[in-house]
Amino acid sequence: MAFEDLLEDPVIQKYLHELVGPKGMPVAAAPPDGEVTDEELAEELDLELNDVRRALFILYENDLATYRRLRDEDSGWLTYLWTFEYDNIPENLEEEMYRLHDALEDRQEYERNHEFYLCEICSIRFEFGEAMDFGFECPECGSPLESMDNDRLVTAMEDRLAALEDELNIDESADA
Amino acid sequence: MVTVSVSAIEAELSEDERAGLELVRETGGIHQSDFWKELDVSSRKGSRIVESLVEKELVDREETVYAGHNTYYITPTARDLEFTLLMAGDMLSPFIGEEEVDPNSDAFSQWIMNLAYEE
Repeated sequence: MAFEDLLEDPVIQKYLHELVGPKGMPVAAAPPDGEVTDEELAEELDLELNDVRRALFILYENDLATYRRLRDEDSGWLTYLWTFEYDNIPENLEEEMYRLHDALEDRQEYERNHEFYLCEICSIRFEFGEAMDFGFECPECGSPLESMDNDRLVTAMEDRLAALEDELNIDESADA
Repeated sequence: MVTVSVSAIEAELSEDERAGLELVRETGGIHQSDFWKELDVSSRKGSRIVESLVEKELVDREETVYAGHNTYYITPTARDLEFTLLMAGDMLSPFIGEEEVDPNSDAFSQWIMNLAYEE
């Protein structure tokens, strides 16, 4: 098996699981050295060929696998030889860290600039305008909506933003 | 292709190379002209150390202009990043595997709730 040091990282395991799902995980979690065919993988891992192909295609779409095609001279059949490209995982996750950072910035702005009301029975949150439209009563259960303090959310987002900026060397002053 | 694990590569570094790698990781990025001064080695030696770390894919290097001179900016590779920053509790960033990022999605609300109440 290749890329063992990467695959030891629980975040990377979770990432692969998120991409290929539970059925594809045996394929994603045990990348062989060098080239391999989908049939060899299915045989080795005792999986349905379709599940193997689906996982390989998802990895391919995420730049984590490549293939080359070979035509069998006699039968004319095409064979796909797959190579796992897990060296790209760190760059992919770096990109995800940037995406998360940008989303947190947008969401933090929204949380700061809006007031919220909560139905404590249904755990549904409403913006001030919505709550007013409903006469400050939950449209689901009719209980009164209570003003909700989101300071804790905003603080948690601030902390994570600062950590991401530090890790990615994002200079906020240059951004303004 | 035979994949050699990164820790195996790191174990083979010379003392100077290891100090150089440590410096790049600590600073998060440094100009080559500061790199050799910080390490207290000659510029030629500094450049050889960087060369070797780049070749081993332990750092990235790009050309830049700094204090009026052409130099290189040396950064850690993506491998060194703290990927746990994508997690809130045991939930991974909901944007993974998604084409579009929706900062107001329910999945992201759940992620933020985890961040605020489970960490």
